[in-house]
Amino acid sequence: MTSSTFAALSSVLVEQFHVDAGAARPEATLDQLGLDSLALMEFVFAVEDRFNVRIPEDRLDPRQAGVTLAHLARLLDEAVAAKPPRDAAAA
Amino acid sequence: MPLLPSARAGTPVAVTGAGVVSPLGNTLAAFDAALFAGRSAVRAQSLDLPGIDLPPVPVAPAEFDSAAELAPSRVPLDRATAMALAAARSAAAAAELVPDGFDRDRLGIFWGSGMGGAATFEATCRTVYADRRRMRPTSVLTTMPNAPVAELALVFGARGAALGYACACASSAVAIGEAMRAIRAGWIDVAIVGGSESMLTPGVLASWQAMRVLAPIAAAGDAAAVAASCRPFAVDRAGFALGEAAAAFVLESPEHASSRGATLQFALAGYATNCDGVHITNPDSAGQARAMRAALGDAGLDPGTIGYLNAHGTATLPGDAAEAESIAAVFGARAVPVSSTKAIHGHLLGAGGAVELLAAARALAGERLPPTAHTGALDPSFAIDLVTDTARPAPGLRHVMSSSFAFGGTNAVLVASRA
Repeated sequence: MTSSTFAALSSVLVEQFHVDAGAARPEATLDQLGLDSLALMEFVFAVEDRFNVRIPEDRLDPRQAGVTLAHLARLLDEAVAAKPPRDAAAA
Repeated sequence: MPLLPSARAGTPVAVTGAGVVSPLGNTLAAFDAALFAGRSAVRAQSLDLPGIDLPPVPVAPAEFDSAAELAPSRVPLDRATAMALAAARSAAAAAELVPDGFDRDRLGIFWGSGMGGAATFEATCRTVYADRRRMRPTSVLTTMPNAPVAELALVFGARGAALGYACACASSAVAIGEAMRAIRAGWIDVAIVGGSESMLTPGVLASWQAMRVLAPIAAAGDAAAVAASCRPFAVDRAGFALGEAAAAFVLESPEHASSRGATLQFALAGYATNCDGVHITNPDSAGQARAMRAALGDAGLDPGTIGYLNAHGTATLPGDAAEAESIAAVFGARAVPVSSTKAIHGHLLGAGGAVELLAAARALAGERLPPTAHTGALDPSFAIDLVTDTARPAPGLRHVMSSSFAFGGTNAVLVASRA
């Protein structure tokens, strides 16, 4: 988990989901942060858009409210690393 | 001969609080100041539709920060729903309605909306077709026509009813009237009622412009001319401006209001709804007259007791002509003072009935009648007593009427009385 990934997750939680900045710790689960299954799906969409990646569906069921922020950050780092260079094919 | 629909017809329902978000302001004091001064909130808006060249349209926006309104569901709020929450929270605060202070199995939400989350729906379509981005998981919940109903039910913990009404320009008048019926019938004791609408987006505005019902404004028109572009019942009327608003009331059975010591703002005395059954847009004066007579019958009042009528008054050529005819048929020639406040707050569609009931109620409270701004010369073929130019004093005003006549032929008329 890179610190910049975690910082980006925190900022989405604070800005869009009204979560207290202090509560967004790596070990916190999304349900502990008050995100129900619906808000959780919105959150995953928002962070995917922020990073311009898709987390494969078999790696994360967004209804799993027990997912920690650290786990989500690791999945995002993997997705970023697996992504082909931007627009390489189209250039 | 009006039919009395139930044994409790004629029983007034108490109104113990009101709240508003509107082009005239977001407090009753601000609303009153603009209403009685005839101060227009209408301005020009250009249509940002790439590749389509259309003239600007007159609109009446509300000064309102929708981001400040938090949703109990955490679903992103359409602007109209955010307005609904703000207006309803104001109304509940004014009524001193404490959520745990009464039986919420007997609390209902009755809410009107014409086009639901049209603005968000348009934005989400742009997201997909223009920006090539995904729909959000909550798009359905943000844009569904009953989104305000759903959020209001969560805010207030309503367990008795949560009902949305979509009948175009009559939506919120119908919502208020149906809540009144539910209270009279004893199904519920308390209702949060009203309507909301916000759809000042390019696609929606262009749709209304295409119907040729919006007042035309010059591309480089001066602000004063645009502000005065809607002239109800005038000989030179040319259509309306679209506005955005929400207005809410707390309705209670008289027994419930008195048992908790609530202050009565005014009484809802009568309601009727019917349908023209003739044409999808052309109004029918006979249908309107039947609705007004039925509302009077429901209130147990003679036409001569009504001291003010807030007309539907859209400033379209056929709309005002039909309405002037129906008013004269019910009340007699020039027998009741009439104004249309759409001149300054625009056509509020699903919120219109609620905002205009509020205007009529403010007339009751202040014993003065709001003017029909901008109407210099009344159409000489109309036998109505139009309040023009400035507010008219009305000492001793006791009963008022507000009428809403919708596309689809739905007519809804409310009668309010001094508490």
